[in-house]
Amino acid sequence: MEQFDAVIIGGGTAGLSALKKLSDLNKSAILIEAGNQMGTKNVSGGILYSKRDPSTTIYNVEDVFGSDFVSSAPIERLIKKYYLHATSKSKIFTLDLTPLHEYKTNFGYSVLLNRLVPWLAERASESAEKHGGGIITGVHVSDIQWIDDKTIVTTNELEEFQAKAIIAADGVNSEVAELTAARHKFTPEELYFGVKVIIKLPERIIEERFNLDSSEGSAHLFAGDITSNLIGGGFLYTNRETLSLGAVYHYDSLLSNPITPSQLINQLIENSLISEYIKDEVPLRNDIKDLPKEDQLKIHLSASKLMKTYDELRYKYFSKNSKELVESGKFTNIEEIRTKIDSIKKDLIEKYGVQFVNNYVELEYSAKLIPDGKRCRMKKPFYRNILFIGDAAGRGIFIGPKIEGLNVGIDDAVRASIAISRSLENSNFGSDYMGKYYESLINESPYTNDMKKIDKDYLTLFLDIVRNISTGFIDPRYSFVLNLMKNSGFRGIAVGLANILGYDKILPIVESKNTYIQLPISLANRLGNIFTSSYVPAIPTLSERIAKLQYNDDTDSHIIVKNKKSEFMKKLVLLCPTKCYSSEEGEVILQHEGCVECGTCSFETDWKHPKGEKGIIYRYG
Amino acid sequence: MSVSVSQEKTKNDIEKYRHIYVIIEHFEGKIIPVTLEMLGEARRLMDEFNQKYNSSEKVVAVVLGYNVRQLCNDLVTYGADSVIYADHEELKYPINDIDTKIIAQIAKDAEIMKKISPEYEKTFVKPRYMFFAADNIGRHLSSTVLAELDSGLASDINKLVISDLDIRHEHKTKGQSIRYEKVLEMYRPDFSGFLWTTILCLDNKNPEIFREYHPQGCSIIPGAFKPIEKDSSRKGTIVEYSPNIDHNLKIKILNRRVIKKTIDYETCKIVVSFGRGIKDNPEQNIKLVEEFAELIGAEIGITLPLSKKPYQISQQLDSKYMIVDRVIGTSGSNVMPSLYIAIGLSGAVQHISGMKDSEVVISINPDENSPIIDESDIFIKGRMEDVLPILIDQIKKQMSTVSIRSN
Amino acid sequence: MLNVGVIIKLEPDFSEGNVSYNSDGTLNRAETKNILGPHSAVACNAAFYCKVKYGAQISIGTMGPPIAETALRQAQVLTNAEELNLYSDRLFAGADTLATAEVLKNGVGKMFGGGIIDIVFSGHRASDGETGQTGPQTAWKLGYTFLGNVIEFNIDSDRKVVIAKRLISLQGMDTIIEEVESPLPVFITIDPSYRSIYNTVSQRLLLNKFRKEGRKRSEDYRQFLKVYTSKNLDLDPKRVGLQGSPTIVYRVEKIPRARTNRKTEIIDPSNPNNIMPLITKIIQLARGK
Repeated sequence: MEQFDAVIIGGGTAGLSALKKLSDLNKSAILIEAGNQMGTKNVSGGILYSKRDPSTTIYNVEDVFGSDFVSSAPIERLIKKYYLHATSKSKIFTLDLTPLHEYKTNFGYSVLLNRLVPWLAERASESAEKHGGGIITGVHVSDIQWIDDKTIVTTNELEEFQAKAIIAADGVNSEVAELTAARHKFTPEELYFGVKVIIKLPERIIEERFNLDSSEGSAHLFAGDITSNLIGGGFLYTNRETLSLGAVYHYDSLLSNPITPSQLINQLIENSLISEYIKDEVPLRNDIKDLPKEDQLKIHLSASKLMKTYDELRYKYFSKNSKELVESGKFTNIEEIRTKIDSIKKDLIEKYGVQFVNNYVELEYSAKLIPDGKRCRMKKPFYRNILFIGDAAGRGIFIGPKIEGLNVGIDDAVRASIAISRSLENSNFGSDYMGKYYESLINESPYTNDMKKIDKDYLTLFLDIVRNISTGFIDPRYSFVLNLMKNSGFRGIAVGLANILGYDKILPIVESKNTYIQLPISLANRLGNIFTSSYVPAIPTLSERIAKLQYNDDTDSHIIVKNKKSEFMKKLVLLCPTKCYSSEEGEVILQHEGCVECGTCSFETDWKHPKGEKGIIYRYG
Repeated sequence: MSVSVSQEKTKNDIEKYRHIYVIIEHFEGKIIPVTLEMLGEARRLMDEFNQKYNSSEKVVAVVLGYNVRQLCNDLVTYGADSVIYADHEELKYPINDIDTKIIAQIAKDAEIMKKISPEYEKTFVKPRYMFFAADNIGRHLSSTVLAELDSGLASDINKLVISDLDIRHEHKTKGQSIRYEKVLEMYRPDFSGFLWTTILCLDNKNPEIFREYHPQGCSIIPGAFKPIEKDSSRKGTIVEYSPNIDHNLKIKILNRRVIKKTIDYETCKIVVSFGRGIKDNPEQNIKLVEEFAELIGAEIGITLPLSKKPYQISQQLDSKYMIVDRVIGTSGSNVMPSLYIAIGLSGAVQHISGMKDSEVVISINPDENSPIIDESDIFIKGRMEDVLPILIDQIKKQMSTVSIRSN
Repeated sequence: MLNVGVIIKLEPDFSEGNVSYNSDGTLNRAETKNILGPHSAVACNAAFYCKVKYGAQISIGTMGPPIAETALRQAQVLTNAEELNLYSDRLFAGADTLATAEVLKNGVGKMFGGGIIDIVFSGHRASDGETGQTGPQTAWKLGYTFLGNVIEFNIDSDRKVVIAKRLISLQGMDTIIEEVESPLPVFITIDPSYRSIYNTVSQRLLLNKFRKEGRKRSEDYRQFLKVYTSKNLDLDPKRVGLQGSPTIVYRVEKIPRARTNRKTEIIDPSNPNNIMPLITKIIQLARGK
């Protein structure tokens, strides 16, 4: 049987950081990823932070992957502005939260994981191969067993092999956690549910519209009536040539008020401010009838080809690299590109009956569960010789507008790597030696602190921003608290008191409909500006959204419904983001085709990741 | 262009190429349907040919195998004038290189010609035309046999015509117009499925590159032609050929395993599909569909949701019909039969994409708002329980005693 | 050392957004992108399997105009090939399968300096009108044993044999998987359903290494490229290209289709008079008329 020193399960940002770090510590490590290519199973909201803390160490992405990370990695835009928009119908009130974003921050970049992860993988495997390790894709770990003193890893695809130490980086729906019963399955109150669409928009149009310098970006949060009365909010991040538009809600809030996730996105798009943000001039084809089908098909294909050429040229024209077209000699000057684009457009209109209308273009629909570290982080993030990191360990930071996950996983990965490295050197993989050590390292992480208690300085910053709002208009309850908080003495007492009470006690008060919904609505109503939209976006139906996704279908379902009649399962008919569940005669029926593997149904199902290479293939993530 | 009859006769007498050779495929004692289809088309072409050219050329079936003597009579009843068979244990299963050598030997054998067409024995060199099946066996066999015989072939043919053509070709005729007689026009649908390309296999008559190309070979798409009605009174010559088997056989068959009963949507003319419309009485309704399909010789398909086995039905029907192999649509098969009958299915996009290329679509559905209506030529508004019995009854009446199942 | 050859083909990319047609319905070749044919890619995967599993060296050949280099380059990405061969000569233009096989036969003969090629792979068929005949005809001319529709294979290097599984599906019959043994050299056309199976961690790691190397090599693929004409392939000009082709394309026409869009006729089944014409139609179609 083949044997390996360190085996990492899961090729997300955390797993790859572990591979890179272990290799840099001269250890041999292999990483097993179920997707057929790196990055195809990864989804994130979209901001990767690098943080600093003068009092302790934080391991950041650039520490692991090289100081040239910012200049070399395929990251999107450096987020310079951070806004919160309170909405009430067409009224919008905007708060500038940039100071919060900048708090203890080296940088925050918008990212698309399907672009970033392959780059990280390239770097990590390069290091790993020097020590006989590397990355193996398309393999799904199905079991881990301990026989005598051996740890045996079983997969659906490969012969069994042995591992001395294992890092579980298999995400929020960690099967390793479930196989080993290292932690309980996360409950809805411990999770957030996120749904997102990627919207296409040319580079320079994004910069003009959001008032950005080249390569810089902004982040926008939304709260108020767009949240459909759920606890959570919307977000819009600018990427280089796309926008990430999504919504994140408390899962138990969704359970008590079930809404189709696709509808949550629609709610955002229908908002006048957002619809103006995402607007573009979009070709609309009219199918030509009254011709034999084969001719129709050929015209359709020829028009597709021309539309693709138009689109590529237009995007290039509106991009930083537009000069390349001139330098390559294809065009003599920039104006000539414009002329060419216009002439293709004319052809499309005149020869193929294409119209150009105001609309927006969706590229990819995705969904994901997010662990709320305040509630569900593993207190003991290990089991035997397995260390849990990132989402798999339930570690994510979710405090008001402070949403961080990727950076936490990277920091965990380094700490786990240090622990394993030490064990490899001393040939001791006992949980008291390796696991306990990892636990102590994790507890030194400032991120663990963030999951335990309120950061006084962060709250101070927040209150400073809020203080500038004229308080006379809002509900006396809030104005009283706000006035109280203006006094720095009271503030200190309040935060101190809150931390004595602990998150468990205060969260139900803070994370309430008042805070997340009523307050923003009344803010917008009283202080907001009116925005109107110049068009009605043609929002794709859910089946159109699903049709755009790529899958490698598995005939066997990776999900088994345990109780077809439970109340929870019935809610999934609405809550499954891709409508895999339907209801017939009081029973819930599953059709796993179309599943995006978010795990929303996992709480009451026998839920596994699909076998290697099977299932969803995200292209943006 | 007037050629006197006597000249034509003389020319005929020195022709080196005669007959249509049809390479027969069979499996465990059964003839593969495409074989009979090829024989049928060869029969029609040859009857016309002999009349037009006042000749007596033949449809010659060639069979290789083990214990295949009894198949030969059947081939005669389906249109073969002569059957040449090679019977040997080593020929039990098709093996490309052995079969190629034997077929090439047979194609050039003058002894056989003595038995089947003594009048052509002296001049015979090779067959005039050769037909193979365009399937996993015939496609390769046709290639290697024609390579061995050093001639040309066209693949995946669905129409054949024999005619005399005036050809002007840069190389073949050095730019001159020359009449080619008895040319097999081989029509093949191109890759897009929209165009027909006619392929000819022609001798090089340009003296600088002179070369003769016979037989004119082709492989024929299963289902493209119709067999002739079986006629037990037909007579034919059956000739045994003793092949020269190389006993140091290169390829050894270690094992043959049947993987599954495939449902043949490719060649059947009618597909009947059902969906959730069976819900009111699944067991009875499936039986109704079964009866209807049996009556008109149709293959049965289902929609994707049914493959998830949403209904409680008997094991027998369940394992036969509620299976992934029968799903028509994006997660299953694409079909394009002459007639598609959609019973009690709404026409989800995934399903439509798998059947939209059907020639004629009839749907039975009580709901005029179902999307299937847009893909239907005929929409019968009604519940399947009500409509199917009427159809079954009427079809039975009209067909009276004649069975129309092709097999 | 196992020597593996692969015969590939550059083909139009028929996917939406890449394919274009002229107004007369023929393929607009100028506007349509060319790629390594999907079936050729499967053959490449099979060759790569030999490299990972048996340490084979790979030589790739294609007949075509100079632009067919693109296909060779893409094939090198897939196989990490040691040698790329382009058989390119104006004389080859317009060749049918027999004339193509003639060129490929001599091409294979020149691989690795004229050494014996143990296995030659080719695709099942090309997607742009080719016929699936080139593979078997080349095999026959080379005198190699031919195995078609191969879905799985393993090589016994000691006995110099290949053990392969091939798929046989015949009209109206059950699909058969036939397991055969054949001595090397052998010519294999790979079934589209073929998938390489690498089932140990070490094989997977080796595969990564070779893939990376292949990508790297392909960046500088010309260094691996040999270009052959009819002359240095020792070919008789009369047996190649249009001159050496038995068949010609005589005519291209639209396949007549009676039907256009469906104009739905709604029938009320309660009136038997409505049903009768339909019954006649069904019976006619059932009889195939």
